[in-house]
Amino acid sequence: MSRVVFYLNQFFAGLGGEDAANVEPGVKRGAVGPGRKLQELLGSGHEIVATVYCGDDRAAANPEAIAAVLALVAAERPDLLLAGPAFGSGRYGVACARVVAAATAAGIPAIAAMHPDNPGLEDAPAGAVIASGASVRDMGQALERLAGAARRRLAGELLTAADGRIGKVARKNVRSDRVAAARAVDLLLARLEGRPAAAEVPLPRFDSVTPAPPVEDLGHATVALLTEGGLVPVGNPDRLESARATRWLRYSIAGKSAAPSGQYASVHGGFSTTWANEDPHRLLPLDVARDLEREGAIGALHTEYFATTGNGTTVPTARRFGVEWAAELRRAGIQAAILTAT
Amino acid sequence: MQAVSLGSETRYDGGTLAVSEQDVRGAFADDALVQVRASWVSPGDSARVVKLLDTVEPRTKARGGGGVFPGFLGPAKAQGRGETHVVRGVAVMAAGYLPRAQEAVLDMSGPGALLSPFGGTHNLVVEFAQAPGAPWERVDVAVRRGLLELARLLADATLGAPPDDQETVDGLGSEVSGALPRIGAITNLQTQGTFKDVFVYGRSFAGALPTFIDPNELDDGAVVSGQFGHPALKNPTYLYQNHPVVRELRARHGRELQFAGLVLAPEPVEAAQKELVAAHAARLCATARLDGVVVTKEGGGNADADISLKIDALADLGIPAVGLFAEMSGAEGTAPPVVVPPERGTDMISTGNYDEIVRLPAVARALGGSRVDVAGAAADAALEVPTAVLYAALSPIGAGRLRCEEVG
Amino acid sequence: MAERVGAPRIVPTRGIPYPSGDPALPPAEERAWRRELLERALRAVTTPVTGPTVFAGPTAP
Repeated sequence: MSRVVFYLNQFFAGLGGEDAANVEPGVKRGAVGPGRKLQELLGSGHEIVATVYCGDDRAAANPEAIAAVLALVAAERPDLLLAGPAFGSGRYGVACARVVAAATAAGIPAIAAMHPDNPGLEDAPAGAVIASGASVRDMGQALERLAGAARRRLAGELLTAADGRIGKVARKNVRSDRVAAARAVDLLLARLEGRPAAAEVPLPRFDSVTPAPPVEDLGHATVALLTEGGLVPVGNPDRLESARATRWLRYSIAGKSAAPSGQYASVHGGFSTTWANEDPHRLLPLDVARDLEREGAIGALHTEYFATTGNGTTVPTARRFGVEWAAELRRAGIQAAILTAT
Repeated sequence: MQAVSLGSETRYDGGTLAVSEQDVRGAFADDALVQVRASWVSPGDSARVVKLLDTVEPRTKARGGGGVFPGFLGPAKAQGRGETHVVRGVAVMAAGYLPRAQEAVLDMSGPGALLSPFGGTHNLVVEFAQAPGAPWERVDVAVRRGLLELARLLADATLGAPPDDQETVDGLGSEVSGALPRIGAITNLQTQGTFKDVFVYGRSFAGALPTFIDPNELDDGAVVSGQFGHPALKNPTYLYQNHPVVRELRARHGRELQFAGLVLAPEPVEAAQKELVAAHAARLCATARLDGVVVTKEGGGNADADISLKIDALADLGIPAVGLFAEMSGAEGTAPPVVVPPERGTDMISTGNYDEIVRLPAVARALGGSRVDVAGAAADAALEVPTAVLYAALSPIGAGRLRCEEVG
Repeated sequence: MAERVGAPRIVPTRGIPYPSGDPALPPAEERAWRRELLERALRAVTTPVTGPTVFAGPTAP
């Protein structure tokens, strides 16, 4: 008998609508709400032993809520966690995705269901989400698909596109019996001969960023300097990585009008840092920025600069840095930033 | 080579190679170096080399037949003719600290050994230290010269002995009649200044325009690596001497294709230069009436731009091309694999995910340094590192077997 | 690269190792070049854009 836990939001768990969106994590015994239909579809052999819930607002905003949900889930000793379907509901989707991510990280197999456009999809780990329709009208079909995926997962199989799997896919290193040079010639000849052959790397799809509106009054604006050229105080006191950076650092430039060689150096491993070390202004244009500040071209220069190393940084990490920088700069009242990129 | 050892003299005896440490120190004799010492590591040894720099295959020309590593060991004259003596299954390596060098790890046994081309060769590892007061640039030059001298010295020991095998390599191969497609290769060389540079005939290739070169010249060491960044994405000298794409094209010449050209191109650091180099390389391929091209690189995302620009420039001239790309998909393998793909071509071969974590066991001995700083561990300890740290593991020039597959 | 990943405002510079400089120039001219780059950057942040936009100058990069 497999033990299944079902995660629902406040509405589907019967605690109320938007008025209950901040309700704390809790648990009800057995299947409730859509869980009853899901139990029917799962059949005997699998039992929904508990339903864990949380208010959508609380779950989407608080990491502690997710931790509390995970604790409630883990206490049931489940073989599988199911979450949703969240359909197109963004907060519910984010909540389901994060609950599933936490469960997966804790070693509990987990599947969420949501619409492919749900913004929560990004937060879920690879291979853990199946598609649902956009609205609750799709509940019946979504539950059928969820039950099917659940049975396969309990049988130890990974979900595939045939199960309706959506979202990130994990790419793993495998050892081919042919060296890359041979595979390259194979692919080229196949193309020239018009034979079907698959390339080995899929094309990336980047999200698009809505540009910020222009600064209206530069003469009263505070501008920040940023760099991904790895420029740090000489000696790299906070040990910024030279490649695959996992963090960014901030250093005061209050009262400084120059960045002399000997005080700053670049730890970036992706280019020759000789020139930047000779003159750090080649990465941090502090001298000219102060000129512009003095002349009133800008209102003020921010008191800090941010630095990281952009060398082999993964896209999600870079995106996270950008989001964190934006939050920090906005909090500090900065209107614009200049990033030197390498 | 079946067996290797250190001995009182350097000598080859039917399948066994002994090397005298005195000869090693002689090859590396230079005011900029101290504490030069040599050790062998062989396939299967519980051994690890850290801070690995360049790797070279022992080769020499017959007496009076010109010289290997032209521009370094001898005058910069065109080579690639006559006899070249090769010691297979052996490599000479330098290991130690140089500025800008990113720590590279090579294991001779366990999971790491399968991930590098040199887990399967007998490697003579030369360690060194900077002489007090010696500029690092001088240390770099001395180590490079020492390595090339040593490579030639080991091969010299085999002169006079009957070879185990003999191969005739005829430039691009004889003219082939019939409708076989004319296939070429563009090899991008990293040219980012001191410690991250590649040399052709003894000179940095930085600032050069792309050029055709007779592949035979690579066999004689016309291209030498001085590039110490990006361990997994590095092309050591050995892989220019044994260029995998050239080997593949030679093997299939006259059967499935005509090997019709090898182009060397620098990887400039300026955007305008990158575009010019890409356009020029594509024009050369069109001039040679190539029907298809394989493009390789050295380095990370910056170098991807150089491949992609060339694939697009070739596409604009109606020439299909395939590029070899390592993936930077993150530790979970879910991030976008290539950030700068071609726009007008989609044919990318994967050389594996840079970020995937590899767990290496502790080893009995480690050469090249006492720590692996990037892993925060002793050099002989068990290590957990991204594939990015393993020497030539993602071989961008095509020597490796790693690629990525979707899971689930 | 910046255009392809969708950076909205881009000022082209002369070299990866020296985005806000140019070691080929004597110091005073290099500082003037740096000034021109920053002025272009300030022009960029005061210009509305709808997608990746390159702010090149009258003097070639």
